[in-house]
Amino acid sequence: MSTIPEESKIQTVKEKKSYPYYIENPVEENRVERFLEAFAAILKYTDYKPLLDSYCNSSAKCNRCAVTCPVFQVTHDPRDIPCYRTNLLLDTYKRYFTIGGWFKSRFTSTFELTDDIIDEMLDGFYRCTACRRCTRECPMGVDHGMITRLGRYILSLMGIVPKALQVSTREQLEGETHNTSQIPKAALLNTLEFLSEELKDMLGIEVEFPVDKMKRDYVFFCAVSDYLLEPETLMGNAAVLYASGDWDRWTIGTCNYDGINYGLFYSDWHLESIIKQLIAEVDRLKGKNILIGECGHASRSAHDFVPVFSNGKPYPVYNFMEYTLKCIKEGRIKLNNDIVTEKVTYHDPCNIARSGWIIDQPREILKSFVPNFVEMTPHGKDNYCCGGGGGLVSVDEIHDFRMNIAGKVKAEQIRRTGAEIVISPCANCKKQLKELVEHYELPCQVMGIHDLILKAIEIPGAKSAAERNEEAEMFAM
Amino acid sequence: MEAWIDFAKGPLFAVTFLIMILGLARLLIIQVYNLIISKGGRLKNAPWKSILKDAVTWFIPVKHLIKGTVIFSAFSFMFHIGVILVPVLLADHIVLWENFLGANLPAIGQGFADFLTLFTIGCILVLLIMRVFVRRQRAMSKPMDYFLLIMVLLPFASGYFASHPGSNPLTWESMMLVHLLSAEFLLVLIPFTKLAHIVLYFFDRISGLHWQLRPGAGDKVARALFDEEARV
Ligand code: HEM
Ligand code: SF4
Ligand code: SF4
Repeated sequence: MSTIPEESKIQTVKEKKSYPYYIENPVEENRVERFLEAFAAILKYTDYKPLLDSYCNSSAKCNRCAVTCPVFQVTHDPRDIPCYRTNLLLDTYKRYFTIGGWFKSRFTSTFELTDDIIDEMLDGFYRCTACRRCTRECPMGVDHGMITRLGRYILSLMGIVPKALQVSTREQLEGETHNTSQIPKAALLNTLEFLSEELKDMLGIEVEFPVDKMKRDYVFFCAVSDYLLEPETLMGNAAVLYASGDWDRWTIGTCNYDGINYGLFYSDWHLESIIKQLIAEVDRLKGKNILIGECGHASRSAHDFVPVFSNGKPYPVYNFMEYTLKCIKEGRIKLNNDIVTEKVTYHDPCNIARSGWIIDQPREILKSFVPNFVEMTPHGKDNYCCGGGGGLVSVDEIHDFRMNIAGKVKAEQIRRTGAEIVISPCANCKKQLKELVEHYELPCQVMGIHDLILKAIEIPGAKSAAERNEEAEMFAM
Repeated sequence: MEAWIDFAKGPLFAVTFLIMILGLARLLIIQVYNLIISKGGRLKNAPWKSILKDAVTWFIPVKHLIKGTVIFSAFSFMFHIGVILVPVLLADHIVLWENFLGANLPAIGQGFADFLTLFTIGCILVLLIMRVFVRRQRAMSKPMDYFLLIMVLLPFASGYFASHPGSNPLTWESMMLVHLLSAEFLLVLIPFTKLAHIVLYFFDRISGLHWQLRPGAGDKVARALFDEEARV
């Protein structure tokens, strides 16, 4: 019974602290009216109403969601019970948007939306990482991740969004650079040049990154922050594309090179606009497929929502790991299985494992060249969130919350594996896990799966993996 | 008293049963419409494979004996065996089905029926006690959650007493009347409370389909609330 999570000896955090995030223009007045107005508009134009109707009717109050939630496991605070938080929104819905609720309010003193409740939501919806772990256990299929997102959506319509997310999406949709990290085109080109040089030094191959090439099979988008923070991952990606012989079948577009989509975490309009921006870039380049780098939520949002928001036939969306596995299976790339001797474990990013389609692929890749691979318990669809999901990782001011509460279970889990390397093929998880490793002083290193592939890949005509390994060791001394 | 019992067994049962059926049919139609028809072509792209796989595996109850809810889950599962089998297959009820629906169902033996009834009552008591004493479960419980458990308990307990005169504290007639009226009240409650899960449960299993958002809706919401610039 691999699905039984170990609740383990996690210590509970007793204090009832709130972890405020910065809001650009906090609203003080008429919050209740504005909340209801935004809620009404959403109910009018979107498809959420039937969902709410059915959730209002069915919750069994069975408490399974509580015991599966990593946040509740640490705080044991009733307000962190997923069902409790979800009910804040459901009660509002019932009271103000159903006949039964209105009727009841004429006779008894029922639930009323107040400023305090809005404060509770404002706090609560950003204490949930929208990882959807609880949803898998809920007998009634209540999708707390979706309700959290809907709650955040309503709040965002009254201007309540963590500033970090809002500023990034604004830049992505309206800024000059069209990406969340504000990397201008010139800087991108510089980075690519730098990566070429690094590849030459390291592997001994001469490549120029394909930029704005037309009619290529794959148009590549990664979390744009990778260009700043994760050069090794990108070089691993490049090495795979080069070794497989597909170097002239892919391209990076310069009008839009960001796969990040914070709309997935808080707003339908942003989600759709950013997806359309992505589709427009592939249209412009007359590309055939969308290839997403190592990023969980970018993969999920493109994979699930490009089909929803496309007019006509949608572009197929692939995660880079699917591509790499395909190349390995077809014998197009070779990985040396003597290079990585450390104990390696794999962290499943929620967005592509539980809410996606990528669980076995990375394991197949890793097992093909890593002799010492261990699993975390639980893993796969039942994994624990890194603690930075739902955009929380980008909100620096709640670092304490992410470390001491949301990420605590994960840190324990990593410690128990005894692994020296934690593979996490997601820009968000990587950032959070690196911070966790530092915070809990875990004796391990966090990296992407292509960072590891970069070490072990054998490319004909280039330096061998063993040679490179030796060089790296010399360099380290 | 006799006349009351006949009334409860006859027309009142027919009406309450009809209310339940129509109420559940209404929920069924709403769900089919909202989840399937109104989303139409969008469902083509839904991740059907994983949704159906999760839906089917949920029916295997042992998969969900997770730490922290093992006792609850086990008793809830056993409770459902009784709550579904006893009302439908009890020898005395078979007569009802024949009268009203013309259905000819096989009855379960009296001994087994007695056992199942007591067993179900036991399960309900455990569920009630857990709700009171497990702090995190109490924290999210509302009066309705207790009320419904008691409402399910009533017909079971009164039915048992009515068929075992030795243990019956009231007269047979009054106990029978309690049994009939509470059962009928429960029938009416089903489509309007969380008991509606009898139908909704199956749709909840595929509620992942709700992620197929409506294209253009976000734009309309934004348009309704503010002018162009204020959006991002
Ligand atoms: C198609 C048949 C049914 C299915 C699939 C079903 C499923 C469920 C599920 C999954 C739960 C959640 C509890 C848990 O997590 O184990 C539940 C709870 C419950 N069900 Fe059912 N059920 C069915 C029929 C009924 C019937 C006929 C009744 C009684 C009239 C009933 C009464 C209840 C009650 C009272 C609870 C709440 C238990 C509590 O409060 O602790 N169910 N049901
Ligand atoms: S989505 Fe994740 S963080 Fe949010 S309530 Fe569920 S388990 Fe907890
Ligand atoms: S697991 Fe589902 S049904 Fe149970 S309490 Fe949580 S939301 Fe309610």
